[in-house]
Amino acid sequence: MVVLITGALIAIIPLVWMFLGSFKSPTELAQRPPTFLPESWALTNYTEALGRFNFVQYLTNSVLVTVGATVLTLAINSMAAYALAKYNFRGRTALFLITLATIMIPLQVILIPVYQVVASLGLVNTLWGMIIPAAATPTGVFLLRQYMLTIPDELIEAARVDGSGEFRTFWQIILPLSAPALAVVAIFSIMWRWSDFLWPLVVAQSEAVYTLPVALARFNAELTVPFNLILAMGVVSTIPVLILFLIFQKQIATGIANTGIK
Amino acid sequence: MKKLRGILAGLCAVPLVLAVAACAPGQVEGGDQPEAPVGSFNPADYAGETLEYMYFTDGPDEQATRDLIKKFETEYDVTVKLEVLPYSDLVTSTLNRLSAGNAPDVIRLTALTDFRDDLLILDPYLGEDYSDEFLAGPQLAVINDQKQMIAVPSDLTLNGPFVNVDLFNAAGVEIPDKWTWPEMIDKAKQVKEATGIPYAFAMDKSGHRLSTVLSQYGTYMLNSEGNALNQEKAVAALQPLIDMMANDDMPADFWLGSGSRYEGANEIFLAGETPIYLSGNWQVGQFVKNAGFDWAVASNPCAEQCGGFPGGKFMAAFKQSKNPALAAEFLRFMNDTQNQEQFVTVSGQLPTRSDLSKVGLTYADPATQAAMDVFLADLVITPEAGFAANGNPAFSPSATVLVDEVAKVVGGKKDLKTAMADLSVQIDDLVAEIDQ
Amino acid sequence: MTASQTRTASPRRKTWASGAWKTKLAPYLFLLPNMAIFATFTIYPAINGFNMSLYSSSNGRTFKWEGLGNYQKILTDQEFWGVARNTVIYTVSFVVLATVFALLIATLVNAQGRGKTFFRAVFFVPVLVSPVAVGLIWNWILERQNGLLNTALGGIGLGPVPWLVNPAWAMVAIIMVGVWMQTGFYMLILLAGLQSIDPVLFEAAKMDGASAWRQFRSITLPMLSPSMAVVVILATIHGFQSFDFIWTLTGGGPVGATTLMVQYIYENGFESPIRYGIATAGGVLLFIAVFILTMINWAVSRRQEAV
Repeated sequence: MVVLITGALIAIIPLVWMFLGSFKSPTELAQRPPTFLPESWALTNYTEALGRFNFVQYLTNSVLVTVGATVLTLAINSMAAYALAKYNFRGRTALFLITLATIMIPLQVILIPVYQVVASLGLVNTLWGMIIPAAATPTGVFLLRQYMLTIPDELIEAARVDGSGEFRTFWQIILPLSAPALAVVAIFSIMWRWSDFLWPLVVAQSEAVYTLPVALARFNAELTVPFNLILAMGVVSTIPVLILFLIFQKQIATGIANTGIK
Repeated sequence: MKKLRGILAGLCAVPLVLAVAACAPGQVEGGDQPEAPVGSFNPADYAGETLEYMYFTDGPDEQATRDLIKKFETEYDVTVKLEVLPYSDLVTSTLNRLSAGNAPDVIRLTALTDFRDDLLILDPYLGEDYSDEFLAGPQLAVINDQKQMIAVPSDLTLNGPFVNVDLFNAAGVEIPDKWTWPEMIDKAKQVKEATGIPYAFAMDKSGHRLSTVLSQYGTYMLNSEGNALNQEKAVAALQPLIDMMANDDMPADFWLGSGSRYEGANEIFLAGETPIYLSGNWQVGQFVKNAGFDWAVASNPCAEQCGGFPGGKFMAAFKQSKNPALAAEFLRFMNDTQNQEQFVTVSGQLPTRSDLSKVGLTYADPATQAAMDVFLADLVITPEAGFAANGNPAFSPSATVLVDEVAKVVGGKKDLKTAMADLSVQIDDLVAEIDQ
Repeated sequence: MTASQTRTASPRRKTWASGAWKTKLAPYLFLLPNMAIFATFTIYPAINGFNMSLYSSSNGRTFKWEGLGNYQKILTDQEFWGVARNTVIYTVSFVVLATVFALLIATLVNAQGRGKTFFRAVFFVPVLVSPVAVGLIWNWILERQNGLLNTALGGIGLGPVPWLVNPAWAMVAIIMVGVWMQTGFYMLILLAGLQSIDPVLFEAAKMDGASAWRQFRSITLPMLSPSMAVVVILATIHGFQSFDFIWTLTGGGPVGATTLMVQYIYENGFESPIRYGIATAGGVLLFIAVFILTMINWAVSRRQEAV
């Protein structure tokens, strides 16, 4: 119990410190030794940070990209996972291995070629350019496949015997049964897309399509970085995923427990 | 066993797939097609057209730019889309767009290095004498090997020391009109001792700022031809800084703590922890706003030479632009006498135009005016070799190496003499790489 | 997909032949959308990237054939070997510590009654903060003179520790922060694994008088090994690819002590003077290293499972 509480404190204190710091003025942040509580709880840093740019626009973009990419990811990942889990066909192992192998390719390495593809498709500077390329997540395919392996084949056979088409079997039987795994993939997708930084930075070339993290980076655009504002923006961009996690934490946990990775 | 075979098959498949695609990923290097000269500019031909201007900001310059763009749009009946990017991503993003054939028309830059071959040659549009409207120093950076103008110097910066007047007064130390490096360090240490603040001196972690010290001790990393480093002079210039860091008179952590990334020491100065801070005129705006004490700009310390080290921003157009004539005209408009005056006075920069630097400028408020007057006075005595150094395309990568080498000395990995010898070798390599 | 979609309505029993045909085609149709996006935006660019590693380019448009010249340049570059060493030290420490802590915390949290949800949330929260912000926050906390951690250590008479200033301590710092940031994620996976172990097994062991340690060794660990394998594989990949938070935490310093492979790639590819060939060749080398390690991890875990 002591170990657990110590660990929990280590996990949480840096974030509490960020939260407290986000209310401090630059001079207060520079004080020695550091003060614990801010002098005032005024929202100056927040209003200044938010006043500097079109926050609502970036928030909307972030939400659209996150939701759009997540829906697309769920649709195509689950279909692919179903094929890999429940059919025997030529090239299955190869396709599965290639899928897994791409988890290992860091985006930084293929950034330029990916960008060239996106540009030739005319997707640069559009929200679609941020939604589509990242949608086919290998992790999502992997998690869903592992989960679907645990669904008994007899269910599918029975549906076929009843004359259900392949897609209907998938849609009416497999998907509902996979709900816990889908929930996990959804949450991961939301987390990833929400904090995605490098890719949106390259694709979003005009302010109208900036997402929140890209906007946050604009603070670094100035040779003089106001750290108090960075803290405030850090807090603001963390809160939505935090709330989401707190609401759905039970689904996430049981979802993971029910996927193959146990 | 079967599984293992599957894995092996997968392993083999990867290089196989890769080997299939052995064709050039883009066009293979060849000669550039020559520019067709364009006739005189007629604004009526361009009514309704659009220009895209890729921009980064240091703060107050953004509004100044927006105001001037409004003016341009009304006068020429065109639209200018201003895209503001984080400075750190400007180059990457622009290179990506260039390779996708989707370049902006106009861009604001701190160095032309990565784009030299892509920039629009301005002579056919603006005339061969156009470059003479600018000071000789800034001109050096915007003229290419074939003596053609490929960018317009849009504003000028100069490095120089800021002093915390309150701390000097509290310590009873005088701030002279002119000082040498030993005098400046001596006074800084007196203030530190008398007031008990943590440091005597601070400067940005930047090869550009270090070049100020090199210049004052009579050497440069580069001239317009290539490597110009005099290693002995460089050692003489940097040794005092290394010593100060060893004695905690200058924040050593700051030099070690963030790799080769730029980091400004402005917060150390703003927190009142150092009496002297070597940076540049772009800090004036935020000090006017944020400093909780009385501060001033002092003249640059002298050693072998006086004066500061110059830098600046450029505006350039791309060959890929669909409206090269309009783009060139936009550059001219933004940098004519009246508009450049408006831009530099609002954003707290120094002018690049000869006519403006002769008449003297009126800045927004007395504090800015006093600070900028010191920079303007130092600009006159800044050696032209500084402009040549800063204008060499190899400058910014060499500056990164300089920071790394100094950090190695501060971190105790090598002595300063070896570091400067290594620096010289690397400058040679970079010059060769960029020239090829 | 559409083919099977349109013919779902009739409950009529298919002939054996047409059913087999549908079943044969169906998996490909199911795979098509995912694989199309995948091929377009990951596999093709990866191949193209490999191709680029055989050329040199400073702008991504004009290319000069180099053959294996870029690889030769990298493998004879002193800096590269320093970077490779840093990457291995970081990844190994990260994988070991993150797995051990994740296991420890998961076991402890699992033993909690009502507090389970609370602790699970607390440990997971660091995962939710964007890596860029994590680097900035920790840079501030680890500051030598005035940082929170050194102030706290000073309170108990220790330090000040030169976290970001001394090469060895800086490596400790990035490992520490990496573990801090990721452990919650692995903890969640292991916790799920623990919860799926049938409680009956423990009941039986208890009746046989097995100690807690013995239960852990003979029930928990073996039953947990598939989850452990996933954690180790994910952590290895993650360790090799770490970049964002290190970039804002130490910038790869002091004097290159915390520069890892992705940063080496990034600096060659995106900082002046730009060397796309070197960057993409570095990427290929990194991919090969991660690929081989993952395959070994995977093979080992399969083997254990089979035993």
